[in-house]
Amino acid sequence: MRPLTLTSPVSGESLRPRGKGRPRTVETAAPSLVALLNLVRTGAANTRQELERHSEFGRAVVADRLTMLGELGLIDESELGAATGGRAPRLVRFAARRASVLVATLDQTAIGVGVADLSGNLLTEHHEAADLAVAPQDLTDRLTALFRWSMERQTAPGGLWGISLSVPGTVQGAAEEGFLSATPPVLPAWEGFPLVETLIRSFGVPLWMRSSVETMTVGELHAGAGIGLRSLLFVKVGRRIGAGIVCDGQLYRGAHGAAGLIGSLPVSSGGRSGTLDAMAGSDMIQREGMAAAQDERSPILADILRRGGEITAIEVAQAAQMGDAASVAILSRAGHLIGQVVATLANALNPELIVLSGSIVQTSDILLAALREAVYRASHPFVTRDLRIIRSQMGSSAGLVGAARVASEALFAPGFLKEWILQGSPLAHPSLSALRTRLAADAPPGGVPPLPPAARNGRETRA
Amino acid sequence: MTISGLGPHGERAAPPERVSLLPGDRAAAKAAGWRVAVVMHTLDSDWAKQVLAGMVGILGDCGAAVVDVVDCGFSPERQVAELDRLVAERPDAIISLPVANEQVAAAHARVSAAGMKLVLLDNVPTGLLPGKHYTALVSADNFGLGKIAAEGLSPRLPDRAQVGVLGFAADFFATNEREIAFTKWMQANRPDIALHVRRFARIGNAADTAAALLADHPGLAGLFVVWDTPAMAVAAWTEARGTPLPIATVDLGESAAIGLAEGVSICCIAAQQPFLQGVAAAQTVILSLLGQPVPAWVALPGIGVTRENVVESFQAIWRQPAPRAVLRLLGLSPGK
Repeated sequence: MRPLTLTSPVSGESLRPRGKGRPRTVETAAPSLVALLNLVRTGAANTRQELERHSEFGRAVVADRLTMLGELGLIDESELGAATGGRAPRLVRFAARRASVLVATLDQTAIGVGVADLSGNLLTEHHEAADLAVAPQDLTDRLTALFRWSMERQTAPGGLWGISLSVPGTVQGAAEEGFLSATPPVLPAWEGFPLVETLIRSFGVPLWMRSSVETMTVGELHAGAGIGLRSLLFVKVGRRIGAGIVCDGQLYRGAHGAAGLIGSLPVSSGGRSGTLDAMAGSDMIQREGMAAAQDERSPILADILRRGGEITAIEVAQAAQMGDAASVAILSRAGHLIGQVVATLANALNPELIVLSGSIVQTSDILLAALREAVYRASHPFVTRDLRIIRSQMGSSAGLVGAARVASEALFAPGFLKEWILQGSPLAHPSLSALRTRLAADAPPGGVPPLPPAARNGRETRA
Repeated sequence: MTISGLGPHGERAAPPERVSLLPGDRAAAKAAGWRVAVVMHTLDSDWAKQVLAGMVGILGDCGAAVVDVVDCGFSPERQVAELDRLVAERPDAIISLPVANEQVAAAHARVSAAGMKLVLLDNVPTGLLPGKHYTALVSADNFGLGKIAAEGLSPRLPDRAQVGVLGFAADFFATNEREIAFTKWMQANRPDIALHVRRFARIGNAADTAAALLADHPGLAGLFVVWDTPAMAVAAWTEARGTPLPIATVDLGESAAIGLAEGVSICCIAAQQPFLQGVAAAQTVILSLLGQPVPAWVALPGIGVTRENVVESFQAIWRQPAPRAVLRLLGLSPGK
């Protein structure tokens, strides 16, 4: 990619002679470049004619800016579209493979990593068992090793442009735009550990972080059962139970990104009461399963225990799937409790689809069946008339896809994009350069590898 | 035996017992008379022959005709063309081993879109989802296989040894998992060891890749090769130049079993159970054609094989006697 030059002074911004103090065309071009690139990227316009119509820029401006975007490697005009009489139009495509984004999901019992293109499509993924309770340094080392392995396998021509993490808790202070500059409080075990700073030091790219319920909801909406839907309710069942809400095709995050924390709602069953997390989450399922194994109410779980096996919520779900009566009862009770709370949300929001996710739900049909029953029983007939309640087909991939979408939307958000587009790479964003300088200065002596150089004009070194 | 890996979408493994067939299932399948096609990466390897034998037997029991068995010769282009041909011929189900990732994803998605059941072996192209683009994945616990290989090679490695890892260049779930697990086990349990990774694009290049790795790191004390056919090529090359190295690999093919019994290079094999994998894949096809729910990922545990247990392991895995050469090398059979 060549350094950026304007091919002709054609825009309305630049036809007049440049007076004293007036910015150069190349500087004022940013807003039109941002607008045109996002029209192409979102698929709103795919030919020069469509771009002129949607952007209301003149033909010469569009032609000039497309040349610039082509030189920056952000669009590709090599393909021809279908002719509608006359010459076939040249298609304008977003160069999604210009660079890549590393994504990861950190779950209570598993870690998943992937590489995505700039449109948020996953190119590769890997999941492995992990214990989130281990020392944060060990977790970060493993994450870094898996990221480096993933990058080795997927080499995008423009290198790495960002990291996006999906974490098991609400991320305080995560704004719609802008990347993180410090580690937000997410899990008590990570208290005081500079996860974000360590990753930015190692990879030299901007980093975003969202709760796993948010990323999985976004993943399900864009690549799973929610494609094309305007309203969706996503429910994740694990140690904690959370809901993701999609209204009018957009994720609803609430005032502080804390929408959908249904796990803290009080519920009661069989004379006991507590939060939904405590009464229906995987800790309860595991505890009740263990009790059923110890007093031999569950022959299957008792057998696992006798053979020295471990009983987790997954074993209880597997036993329920095999018809074990005690395990079926445990999961039915959990499903009914979650269903009652979900019914309240469904009546408030009237979604088209409710997607249930989490490894317990993936392993057994019982919880899904009990939840369906509870929702149908407690909802207004209009709410359930066309409502579908299904299990996620994406599993943990939903979190990776959602994390990738978070990064791609943030990289190309107009306010963020205009700060880097003329340099052709977000690694040249002034805030990132400042952050990297600060982190390098704060680095503990001897323990940190040198930073890759900041990008200029679309060229950067891969971390 | 437990499954240590997670599925392509982070799924927990279902054991092969989850797809057992009841007499009523077989009777219902026989009455239906289904047609099933099989698309393999190769038909040359012992592994592929055993998977096929396991599948064909069960499908025969269920009255399902195997109408085509395709050998893609590891070629993504060939696989895409063959899948499209099969979609036009409309069998009731296809069992396929995707030979690549992105290149073959759309062709596999077209099978499900055309209304046929699709059961995958070993690999899921990124982006394809169970229940939507395919019915289920049936594979070995490849993560567990990499771990078994690392555990088997470790006692042969001195302190602070350098170890070579020969991975497969294609982006392939099974070989990726083995490589990641081997490396992870070594980093966690033998932090003294330095690992050097290279990847070969074709089996024919494996020995050359090993040669290049050894040229860069002449002090290598051991090797992990992600499956047996390239491992045997590498073993032959190192033995021919008079510097055999301990090699751990995956799959107990006939030559690998003989290599293990010789005790020169091959020191540990993490064996898959291809016959049982074929059985599980065929049972998954029948259950899904009967409209019953099947798990997204059925995984079969691996078996650690050394010189000491190669004979019984061979019998257990291949359901036939160990090769005479193995028996002779271990002094269990007379002969030259």
